[in-house]
Amino acid sequence: MVAPVPPGAPRPNNQQYPGPPNFYPGSQGNSNALADNMQNLSLNRPPPMMPGSGPRPPPPFGQAPQSFPQHSPAYGVPQRGPSPMSRPGPPAGLARPGAPPPVSQPAGFLSNVPLNRPTGPPSSQPPFGSRPSMPGGPVAQPVASSSGFPAFGPSGNVAAGPPPGARPIAFGSPPPVGSGMSMPPSGMLGGPVSNGHQMAGSGEFPRGTQFPGGAVTTPQTPYAQPPSGPFPRTAPSMPPPATFPGAPHGRPAVSGLPYGPPSAQVAPPPLGFPGPMQPPRYGMGPLPNQSMTNIPTAMGQPGAAAPGGPARIDPNQIPRPGSSSSPTVFETRQSNQANPPPPATSDYVVRDTGNCSPRYMRCTINQIPCTVDLLSTSGMQLALMVQPLAQSHPSEEPIQVVDFGEGGPVRCSRCKGYINPFMKFIDQGRKFICNFCGYTDETPRDYHCNLGPDGRRRDVDERPELCRGTVEFVATKEYMVRDPMPAVYFFLIDVSMNAIQTGATAAACNAIQQVLSDLPEGPRTFVGIATFDSTIHFYNLKRALQQPLMLIVPDVQDVYTPLETDVIVQLSECRQHLELLLDSIPTMFQESKTPESAFGAAVKAAFLAMKSKGGKLMVFQSILCSVGVGALSSREAEGRANMSAGEKEAHKLLQPADKTLKTMAIELAEYQVCVDIFVTTQAYVDMASISVIPKTTGGQVYCYYPFSALSDPPKLYNDLKWNITRPQGFEAVMRVRCSQGIQVQEYLGNFCKRIPTDIDLPAIDCDKAVMVTLKHDDKLQDGAECAFQCALLYTTIFGERRIRVTTLSLSCTNMLSNLFRAADLDSQFACMLKQAANEIPSKALPLVKEQATNSCINALYAYRKFCATVTSTGQLILPEALKLFPLYTLALTKSVGLRTDGRVDDRSFWINYVSSLSTPLAIPLVYPRMISVHDLDVKDNEGAVLPPPIPLSSEHISNEGVYFLENGEDGLLYVGESVDSDILQKLFDVPSAAEIPNQYVLQQYDNQLSKKFNDAVNEIRRQRCSYLRIKLCKKGDPSGMLFLSYMVEDRTASGPSYVEFLVQVHRQIQLKMN
Amino acid sequence: MADMASMDPEGMDGVRMTWNVWPRTKVEASKCVIPLAASISPIRRHPDILNLDYAPLHCRCSAVLNAFASVDYRARIWKCPFCLHTNTFPTHYHSITQDNLPGELYPQCTTVEYAVPSSVPGVGVQFDPRTGAPVGPPLPPPVFVFVLDTCMIEEELGYAKSALKQAIGLLPENALVGFVSFGTQAHVHELGFSEMSKVFVFKGNKEVTKDQILDQLGLGSSSRRAPTSGFPRGAQNGFQSSGVNRFLLPASECEYTLDSLLDELQTDQWPVQPGHRPQRCTGVALSVAAGLLGACLPGTGARIVALVGGPCTEGPGTIVSKDLSDPVRSHKDLDKDAAPYYKKAVKFYDSIAKQLVAQGHVLDLFASALDQVGVAEMKVAVESTGGLVVLSESFGHSVFKDSFKRVFEDGEQSLGLCFNGTLEINCSKDIKIQGVIGPCSSLEKKGPNVADTVIGEGNTSAWKLCGLDKSTCLTVFFDLSSTGSNAPGPANQLYLQFVTRYQNPEGKNLLRVTTVTRQWVDTAVSTEELVQGFDQETAAVVMARLTSLKMETEEGFDATRWLDRTLIRLCSKFGEYRKDDPTSFTLNPYFSLFPQFMFNLRRSQFVQVFNNSPDETAYFRMLLNRENISNATVMIQPSLTSYTFGSPPQPALLDVASIAADRILLLDAYFSVVVFHGMTIAQWRNMGYHHQADHEGFAQLLQVPQEDSQMLVKERFPVPRLVVCDQHGSQARFLLAKLNPSATYNNANEMSAGSDIIFTDDVSLQVFFEHLSKLAVQS
Repeated sequence: MVAPVPPGAPRPNNQQYPGPPNFYPGSQGNSNALADNMQNLSLNRPPPMMPGSGPRPPPPFGQAPQSFPQHSPAYGVPQRGPSPMSRPGPPAGLARPGAPPPVSQPAGFLSNVPLNRPTGPPSSQPPFGSRPSMPGGPVAQPVASSSGFPAFGPSGNVAAGPPPGARPIAFGSPPPVGSGMSMPPSGMLGGPVSNGHQMAGSGEFPRGTQFPGGAVTTPQTPYAQPPSGPFPRTAPSMPPPATFPGAPHGRPAVSGLPYGPPSAQVAPPPLGFPGPMQPPRYGMGPLPNQSMTNIPTAMGQPGAAAPGGPARIDPNQIPRPGSSSSPTVFETRQSNQANPPPPATSDYVVRDTGNCSPRYMRCTINQIPCTVDLLSTSGMQLALMVQPLAQSHPSEEPIQVVDFGEGGPVRCSRCKGYINPFMKFIDQGRKFICNFCGYTDETPRDYHCNLGPDGRRRDVDERPELCRGTVEFVATKEYMVRDPMPAVYFFLIDVSMNAIQTGATAAACNAIQQVLSDLPEGPRTFVGIATFDSTIHFYNLKRALQQPLMLIVPDVQDVYTPLETDVIVQLSECRQHLELLLDSIPTMFQESKTPESAFGAAVKAAFLAMKSKGGKLMVFQSILCSVGVGALSSREAEGRANMSAGEKEAHKLLQPADKTLKTMAIELAEYQVCVDIFVTTQAYVDMASISVIPKTTGGQVYCYYPFSALSDPPKLYNDLKWNITRPQGFEAVMRVRCSQGIQVQEYLGNFCKRIPTDIDLPAIDCDKAVMVTLKHDDKLQDGAECAFQCALLYTTIFGERRIRVTTLSLSCTNMLSNLFRAADLDSQFACMLKQAANEIPSKALPLVKEQATNSCINALYAYRKFCATVTSTGQLILPEALKLFPLYTLALTKSVGLRTDGRVDDRSFWINYVSSLSTPLAIPLVYPRMISVHDLDVKDNEGAVLPPPIPLSSEHISNEGVYFLENGEDGLLYVGESVDSDILQKLFDVPSAAEIPNQYVLQQYDNQLSKKFNDAVNEIRRQRCSYLRIKLCKKGDPSGMLFLSYMVEDRTASGPSYVEFLVQVHRQIQLKMN
Repeated sequence: MADMASMDPEGMDGVRMTWNVWPRTKVEASKCVIPLAASISPIRRHPDILNLDYAPLHCRCSAVLNAFASVDYRARIWKCPFCLHTNTFPTHYHSITQDNLPGELYPQCTTVEYAVPSSVPGVGVQFDPRTGAPVGPPLPPPVFVFVLDTCMIEEELGYAKSALKQAIGLLPENALVGFVSFGTQAHVHELGFSEMSKVFVFKGNKEVTKDQILDQLGLGSSSRRAPTSGFPRGAQNGFQSSGVNRFLLPASECEYTLDSLLDELQTDQWPVQPGHRPQRCTGVALSVAAGLLGACLPGTGARIVALVGGPCTEGPGTIVSKDLSDPVRSHKDLDKDAAPYYKKAVKFYDSIAKQLVAQGHVLDLFASALDQVGVAEMKVAVESTGGLVVLSESFGHSVFKDSFKRVFEDGEQSLGLCFNGTLEINCSKDIKIQGVIGPCSSLEKKGPNVADTVIGEGNTSAWKLCGLDKSTCLTVFFDLSSTGSNAPGPANQLYLQFVTRYQNPEGKNLLRVTTVTRQWVDTAVSTEELVQGFDQETAAVVMARLTSLKMETEEGFDATRWLDRTLIRLCSKFGEYRKDDPTSFTLNPYFSLFPQFMFNLRRSQFVQVFNNSPDETAYFRMLLNRENISNATVMIQPSLTSYTFGSPPQPALLDVASIAADRILLLDAYFSVVVFHGMTIAQWRNMGYHHQADHEGFAQLLQVPQEDSQMLVKERFPVPRLVVCDQHGSQARFLLAKLNPSATYNNANEMSAGSDIIFTDDVSLQVFFEHLSKLAVQS
């Protein structure tokens, strides 16, 4: 059912890509070097330069220069002068040279200049639609795209050249038609929009937010106390009154405030960034680093707003992520300083100029606080997100492999840190000082080189280990306890009655059958297969046999392997047998009436078979493990049965039932067996218990619930294929070293830890990230550099033992404001997400939510208290870098893992998914990307495949619309109630929504809309390296509710609306201030 | 006596007794020295045995109507000779008259065989309405589960495989076949799975219960697992309910599957550490096979045919460690209690034996290895189930190959393997049964005829013979009631009745009734009658069996001494002599051979165990116990035939003096048959005279002993080892070891040329006799 893409087919463009319905990440991949392999694999990634392809705009761009006032042209609202923006406008000059930044201004807002955001009257079209069509050109004009605002646009915005990097931003979307309609006028009046959201948008990447320059001041609502009447802000530079046209989104509370009085917003004074930091970034001018939102202090009850009253906060003006522009070039160090990385989801090309690429390692703060006090004052976390095998961009230089010969890589003799660009050579090169422990080592004789006049070794530029943040060393015997292991793939398939009848077995066999050709060629590739129901069935694949021999291990209490050899055989020797076997398994067990599963025992037995070699164990499981070792009970049902008693202990269901599987997992890890579990089920499988195995062994859980034989097999195949073809390594050990003063506190991710300093990873792949939390054990010198080095010793699939060394050196600071400026939103949020996920199973849920919220508040409070220059209490002031932090925090508290209404398994899956989640996927998980589908063929996205994202608020969902929402794992296709039948015909080949089958399979029909939609989905798949489990949601049935549950900006049972949340946060900060 | 041997001394009854007249009292009996014992061949074939197609008539004492019952034709009543109770004939006997007797009442028909309906539980006995003959439900076919060791070298495994293939080809079409192979683990092959070869693997080092095995094979009652393959076989085998037909298939259906399976079967793939024995889980394999058979309906005749190529080193039943530097236990180790695995292993095999007996199934053991494989430990399981045992040094050796083939062959030579036998013994009042030595196990049926003292399988008057065949032989030991009256009563005759119920190879249930009578004599008055009733051969064999039993069961038993003292007592009692005058000592002809038997018994492998391994000893003893008297006699005292020019073959003295340069000797020592060419003969043969036309006589002389030896080989099971050797050749030791060392290096100078000497310090028969007469006459 899946047509493989011919290897070598150009992947780059959507256009060229034939758009097979199914996406194959990394289909090529047989090359010989890991690096090459990665290259190939990365073909799936967006081609450089494709506008629109970058997933998310890097945050820096999001900042509007403060200096530009923004005007909101709209509706005659008085613009306030340029709002003091925290965002640097994107000065054109700074633009990255190569990439013509598509500027997408929505409705003609200007990007850089102080824009005034017109608050648009709600147009029926999502504003996102309005991508300026011109890439590269400065878009001054509103593109007459769909957004309804063109008219306004021009006025204010023109001033500045379009920022090069500017991408269309999602700025405030016009209020939804319905409710918004009435409001527009008011909105107009009210508010000077503070934003530059344009700006943000423009310059910015995705993050570009509606908040243009950072500070968004909302006009105060005349609530109880209108803060400053017309909010005049004494913003130094300009007080653009920001009014948020409140679009009442059906939420009375917020809406309805007259924005009439334009309030002046004061943008916080731009914090001066020391020159070095700012300027170079992406062509942006100095960035202001804060955003402000005016929030009426006295937010009453939400409901307080009188109808017709002005909304205090215009939902369209508050910070929201934008979409990204074309790739930028990022140099990891400039002027001998670490360069803060672009947003994780944006499209960028790294030039390794000493520090490692942020793909491999990024820190939550790009400057290191000198003292622990400073750090705790900031309220931020200090942690590293390490993804040592992350995929690089195809345009990036491959990682260089350095072979030191017999002696192995040069290391510090005291701390064992590896040679890196920050080791300082002295004494004519005869000695070097370790940048971690400060020890002075003798340079090995054959590594000696004289220093040049600049004090650097003369050979620095020729030696990758001295000029690159990431290099790979060839490991010597010293780094091996045995010969590098072969690539072993063991497939374990559930053939219980349920699995057979639901087609899960057939799907698994089929998928395996197809990926056989993707396994590495050669004598080092070994394959084994076993099936299980209430017993375990191995197969002797030895070539001498006429047919495979089935070996059954019936004792599931005390399992064993039936053969020491021949169960795992060289692929080249058993391919035919294997194919024959995979063909016959689904039919062979057709009559099976065994309802039970000995999953635990099967894993154990497979492990025993693999023990001597290690390798990857891929388990396809369909039902709860009910017999044998590690049998589980249907705890969820039991929990439901006595809900009242179980309420308090609800989170216990998220903990493993007992220690059996954990113990087993540790043993698996010890013998370098990595387990991936593909759960193709219709029922509860106790994910909390089974996920312990992949988590401990560096594996992964894939979940297909409820499994559909119609729509899931392609995803199963693609997941399996990516699992096998993605860049990866085996039998790995990883350690992170830090400079004196900082030490590793804890590692978090999918691995097994036996000694405190190292983590063992039976397998590690490009998608897996490890979070490393740090702590101070001493003071650091202001201005000094603090280095982090991650060393990953692993075996490639081709049997080479390598050490990948990734070094990041950051400067230390004593300035709190520097910390905020250097904060990395993606990492910060990923850190918060992971910590929350980690705590869910052991803490009461309200506590976890509260912690997340508090951690957000603490950081904002610290900023407000110590850094913000604005004194008005009525204003919520956000550090520019973290302006989306509240939104994501809110989204986190509403995410699957932190809700109680879902299935326990879904929550467990979520928790487990998060634990190894890479930084670029962290935010999309809680704040998915939503695009409109029905108008894909109408709008011109300047050649971009993906239209700009729509904020996750139900006011943006039209009944006539079809929307697609994705979080990197699932894709939801939402069909409104009254969608034009022509659109339905084009997309689904049926005339009415009722006729769309519930088990949806994405298909391409011969029309522009369908084609574009397929292109868009394929593009997303490519970006996420995930096939997406696409589910059809229809308004009015449960699937529709599911879709709406992702509208995190709405007020729902699980939490307040975004605006309400901001108000809450603001109030909390105020409380603290007082 | 010699005539008797050729005349079928056992007759149609197949019963031989140590004493054919019985002393009346326990005291007198004990004075007879040789115990009162009967050797019976429960289902020996005999052309004169009458087959009756109706059910037997039982007295309320459970004895069966027989030729010795006194019948009142008019009253239509009969009196049971055992309990003396009077029974009325049932209506279908009403036509009985003096001239119209039912078969069992013919005076010459002391042994008759009834056809009885099969005893499938839940199905009552039905009779054909027309003939009155019992009609049973369909007969369950016999089941054969082959258990094959794979821890062998490729070549040996090849031999074993081809033997198996041949055997399967010879099985009746309807016989059900199962297959278990084992090495480090035990593999149960699911032959009914059509998609591919499928085996259930059991760990070799874990003892599993029968229930676990059944559960794990999906045959247990608690298992909800249905057959995974659709073999809609209906219920004709009666197995459908249990699903065991996934594993047991009619030979006709699975021959091809098995053939290809055997073709692909490899030697055990688990690695063997250098300096170690392969890991072989014989114990688990056997218990798994036994467990599998446990899923068959009760009453199904089934045998486990185990081909074992080495010692069990893994899991339960282990007899030796894996380390090759530890040798397998010897008799010396057993004596000194220095065999760490022995007792545990015996206990384990005993539990298998009990399970098999309870199921009524048989274990046959074919052990082929240069070293021991643990026959000594497994003996209990083989013997109590009535299994066959063959010990050889290779699966390629004819001892194994031909024997194995014989097991499955049909026709005249067939062993006539029967299943599910039970033996019940009824006997006259005052006679007590002490027990049975032989391939059976006690059914623990208590009764007035059960003695307090136990010999062998005792404490019962009924025994289970899971497997039996036409040559199966049991030794029953009797005792007399100590309360019995000494006075000669009216009953001058004693009666013994052996009732054997069994299932023949075709699955028919038969019941054989043998009733014998003997005379009571008052030995206190005269021993003359008693003496004439002495059967020397039987007595020798019984003594041999008893000695073996005692050696196995009694701690520190000194067999030679015990035999000597018994012999001396016997000679003192029955010899004629003047006190303290050895020269006056003579023995009545009825006893004259007995001392020689004892002389040879003392020298035999049964008593001189130190020349053999425990495995061999166990093997020899099992055969000693299950063979008939004539064969057992040969085991004790081999027969020697001499072939020379100008005279027909004639028996020769079992003495080194029989060796002559111009003679060919044929030694039948039962386990081996030796053709021994005198020096001259060998030279002539080497020069090829027998190929020359004018030396036809010589050719013939060479030919005849070969043919005779082939005859022996053909008739016997297990097939004996055939040794053809020349005088002074290395193989000649097989002959010399058995000969009376009348000429040794001590008196070599007295010997004539061409004869031979034996290098031994053993006493010769002559010396033995001298001592015997001296001791017998001592007062």
